[in-house]
Amino acid sequence: MPRHKLIASESDVSIDVDEGKDNEFSLYYVEVEENSEEGEEKQARRDGKRRRERNGEVGRRRTSEKRTTEVGNKRAEKKHDKRHKRARNGGEKHGKRQRRKNEDAEEAEEESSKEKKNIKNERNKTLKLDDEKKKDLKKKTKKHVKNEEDDASHGKTKQKDCHDMPLKEKKKKRNKPETTSESESKSESESQSDSDSESKDNQAVGVLGSLTPEELEKLKEAVDERKKLIITLRGKPWPMRKKLLILRESQEFVEKYEGALGKGKGRKLYAYKVMMMKKWMKFQRDFENFKTACIPWEMKIKEIESHFGSSVASYFIFLRWMYGINMILFGLTFGLVMVPEALMGKPYGSLPRKTVPRAEEAGAMNFAVLWDFGGYAKYSVLFYGYYNNQRAIGWLKFRMPLSYFLVGVGTVAYSYMVVIRTMARNANEEGGGDDTSFNFSWKTFTSWDYLIGNPETADNKFASITTSFKETIVEEQESRKDDNIHLTRFLRVLANFLVLCCLAGSGYLIYFVVRRSQKFALEGLENYGWWERNEVNMVMSLLGMFCPMLFDVISTLENYHPRIALQWQLGRIFALFLGNLYTFIIALMDAIQLKRAEEEIVKKNMTIWQANLYNGTVPDNSTALPITVHPADVPRGPCWETMVGQEFVRLIISDTMTTYITLLIGDFLRAILVRFLNNCWCWDLEFGFPSYSEFDVSGNVLGLIFNQGMIWMGAFYAPCLPALNLLRLHVSMYLQCWAVMCCNVPQERVFKASGSNNFYMAMLLVILFLSTLPAIYTIVSIPPSFDCGPFSGKNRMFDVIQETLETDFPAWFGKVFSYVSNPGLVLPFLLLLVLAIYYLQSTSKTYKRVNMELKKKLQTQNEENKKKNKLAALKAANELEQARKGGEQHSNSDLGESTLNGSQLPSVNALDRILEPVLGNFPLMLKS
Amino acid sequence: MVSPAIALALLPLLLTLIIRYRYFFVLLYRAVLIRWVRDCLTGLSREERAYQYILTHATPGDSQSILDTFDQWCSKVEFISNIGPKKGKILDRLLLEHCPITVLELGTHCGYSTVRIARSLPIGARIYSVEMDERNAGVAEKVIRLAGFDEDMVELIVRPSDEVIPRLREDFGVEHLDFVFMDHWKRCYLPDLQLLEGSGLLGEGSIILADNVIFPGAPNFLRHARRSGLYEVRVHRATLEYIRGIRDGMAELTFLGIK
Repeated sequence: MPRHKLIASESDVSIDVDEGKDNEFSLYYVEVEENSEEGEEKQARRDGKRRRERNGEVGRRRTSEKRTTEVGNKRAEKKHDKRHKRARNGGEKHGKRQRRKNEDAEEAEEESSKEKKNIKNERNKTLKLDDEKKKDLKKKTKKHVKNEEDDASHGKTKQKDCHDMPLKEKKKKRNKPETTSESESKSESESQSDSDSESKDNQAVGVLGSLTPEELEKLKEAVDERKKLIITLRGKPWPMRKKLLILRESQEFVEKYEGALGKGKGRKLYAYKVMMMKKWMKFQRDFENFKTACIPWEMKIKEIESHFGSSVASYFIFLRWMYGINMILFGLTFGLVMVPEALMGKPYGSLPRKTVPRAEEAGAMNFAVLWDFGGYAKYSVLFYGYYNNQRAIGWLKFRMPLSYFLVGVGTVAYSYMVVIRTMARNANEEGGGDDTSFNFSWKTFTSWDYLIGNPETADNKFASITTSFKETIVEEQESRKDDNIHLTRFLRVLANFLVLCCLAGSGYLIYFVVRRSQKFALEGLENYGWWERNEVNMVMSLLGMFCPMLFDVISTLENYHPRIALQWQLGRIFALFLGNLYTFIIALMDAIQLKRAEEEIVKKNMTIWQANLYNGTVPDNSTALPITVHPADVPRGPCWETMVGQEFVRLIISDTMTTYITLLIGDFLRAILVRFLNNCWCWDLEFGFPSYSEFDVSGNVLGLIFNQGMIWMGAFYAPCLPALNLLRLHVSMYLQCWAVMCCNVPQERVFKASGSNNFYMAMLLVILFLSTLPAIYTIVSIPPSFDCGPFSGKNRMFDVIQETLETDFPAWFGKVFSYVSNPGLVLPFLLLLVLAIYYLQSTSKTYKRVNMELKKKLQTQNEENKKKNKLAALKAANELEQARKGGEQHSNSDLGESTLNGSQLPSVNALDRILEPVLGNFPLMLKS
Repeated sequence: MVSPAIALALLPLLLTLIIRYRYFFVLLYRAVLIRWVRDCLTGLSREERAYQYILTHATPGDSQSILDTFDQWCSKVEFISNIGPKKGKILDRLLLEHCPITVLELGTHCGYSTVRIARSLPIGARIYSVEMDERNAGVAEKVIRLAGFDEDMVELIVRPSDEVIPRLREDFGVEHLDFVFMDHWKRCYLPDLQLLEGSGLLGEGSIILADNVIFPGAPNFLRHARRSGLYEVRVHRATLEYIRGIRDGMAELTFLGIK
């Protein structure tokens, strides 16, 4: 085996060095080089010389170092061996080379004589250099550094002179076809040189102090080369594996030797600096990694993105973003409302509003009741009714009602702020301009989703790109024909009509169900079964689940691009959900009215009850303690706020349950059935009829958005909602991640969804607005219950602000506030605000337009340039022809008149002048 | 009791299912219901009815006319799962590309695909067509003779495919199969393929074309073909014959030879 031989030769080298037979060593070394690639030679020889030089100097001087060199060499051999293996794996033609080795060896023998000469020269030179160095040391001039450099450059040039020659000759001699590409040979030479220099410098680690300046210089040069390589590696046309290999090797090399470089005294400092720099860089990189690791679920999302494309990932990113927002909302409500009340407020059982009434006490701890958020759950910090209207609680004098109100307002305000800010940021990212004008260019260059890392998805994507190309070509042809447009239009109108019918039907159904449930509620729910009690929720979730499917089926009529189809689908589901939600709210408003009527009756009864209490038991004449009635026995109002909160919580819970159950049945069970029944079924379940489900981006996004809307709506009356939502989002993150990876298949038409993010945001904003509307309406227009909640006893909920202003702030502040809140001031301020918004909007519009114009200008300029170039080329060609004709004429006309000559000469010059830019532009033209 | 409102809320689901799988309902209607009614009314089998139609409508000796009439009958009158015109084009192209000399057809049915293969074969080529059902084979023979192909060209074998394949060499003197077309029971694809592998009739470059690998589908066959490493697999995607909306495909397996 050639490799064994190689090792043997190298081990011989070390022995030879010990014996001091430099010439033989060189011969062997040449042989070694011959074994390896052609391109390695130059570098390798330089390295060999380096070694020789050092051995010439060092090896003779120190006998004690022989051992180390031997060891080092052996180590180097091993490394070399490995490298060699890799190189062999990389280049297949290596084997052939090895076979050719014998010839090469013969040649090498011929060359070895030349080499010997070279070495003699070399030795002379080194001696000279040594002398010079000694002189330098003696003089100890300040020009030390400069001299060193000079020496080094001398050495370099000389070396190059002496070993370039034989190399060239050898190449000539060989006359073999270059089988490997340049880059390959180059890289291999590098790896080879790397191993060589490494083997050398393995020894050198101990001998570093005795490095000659040239060597240092060379080392530095090599390090610089490596650095350069690392920087430019990305642009090289090599396969990835090779790039990685080279990168790793180069980095190792640089890391190893960079520290060893430096000049004179500053070497240590330099090494230290380099080391610190490296440490710092590494730390920074690690820190970046750490930061990425700190982003919750980042890796999960990336994995999903690689399997399912960015549209599915965008849902999960949205989910994460939502989680963040809910975290803040939860922090606000939990930290400023629930915890203070639980810690500092009056304990459970101290007030009627804080105790379970006597009638409910028996079943208050039943699971069914708690699951329905009745019983003890209803009379706890989770709901509005539990809070007391005491102005300040605890030793902190915490203003509970104020805090409650401000948190309610603050959560909504914060949500607005965040949504709008995100929208604005996203709007910046999407540049203006129409993307439809260069359809095929866009498709060619931008349709690949680079985040895909899964072969199946990649196949799908590939197929979808191909089909989309076909479709676009067909579309392009059809758009020229322009005859089928009416059919498409008709189908689209029809689809929208069907969808509208569907929406109206579902709206009516919900309305019907809600009316019925009110009837049930009036007659008492106890008389009805589970189906009747849960009818509204059931119908709402069923419609919410199946109507989108119907829309999806209908939307196939329209034949839109999937991205546009997704937006339509989103819009439709949005309308459906909105209709459902608003029907629900209207029903809730009715319920509130009912409760308030009930409250009036209770109020009247209350006075009678109190009168009875006092009349019946307490003698009029006594001054004894007033009667204490257990709070559970006190009659109380229905507390519509708690009822609203409860409804929302129930809705959220049932919604969550529906989502999870759908996930488990529709996705997981189906996947299991398809997977395991496929082996014993008469048709292909995986490819054919049930198949695996696809991830429904639009439905999930909308579910999330509407869920959030319900949170915003209900959070004022049930402070526990953000906490519940947080829990839900957390669970659904894990559950859905798992479900997607485990039982969904990538969409058949994978498409990029980067543009739809702002669409989601816009919908979220709309929902936010629509969900704050009813909340604000109830806060502003309906008086709070008289015996429950933090605002009981007040006429309106926002009176708490006025109260605070009056009692907690100095008098002048109240005055200032009253002045400021004077309509005469507020209206102009609002006007100013509107004007400012208008101004900003119009300026942004102008900027956009200017941007567009600039873009257009650039385009036209580009086209003009193209035309110009074409024209110039044509002209040049014409003139060339003319000139040729002229030349022929000229030659024919027997060196005619001098005037003609004079005119022709400049014309040729002109031709050159014209041709020059054209030729210069030629590659440009090719590009365009 | 489930209230009517909840039942109404399930209506979208029903509609969705009906719309999404309408082609399957159409197929059910055409392939099962109509056939059953006609069978009861006429007392003839479906294949015989098809033959009667062809006899009255097609030009004898003109294979193209016979094929067209078949297509017409299958798309207008009743449904027979022939290979159909669209997938037939793929078959024609493959035959033209490879010019096979010996062709084995598993599942003659009414002879549609046999006529289709026979007309695009070079002179001197031979088809061995295997059909299990005798009535169908009778119809198929009539159709083939009507199209003008004689016994030298088409050899009809009325036996189950798993009996025929191991005995091809002994009984029929077949040494090498260039082209195998599978369109019989989908469950038999895999065992028959394995029998073919074992018989040694396949050589390097032999083509195996299997119809209906996606619908009704032959997952085990495809899995085996992909995993065994003996074949280069290509699935030509198309739709089910005579019904537009159901996706189907033909698997083209190129035998790479046992290494």
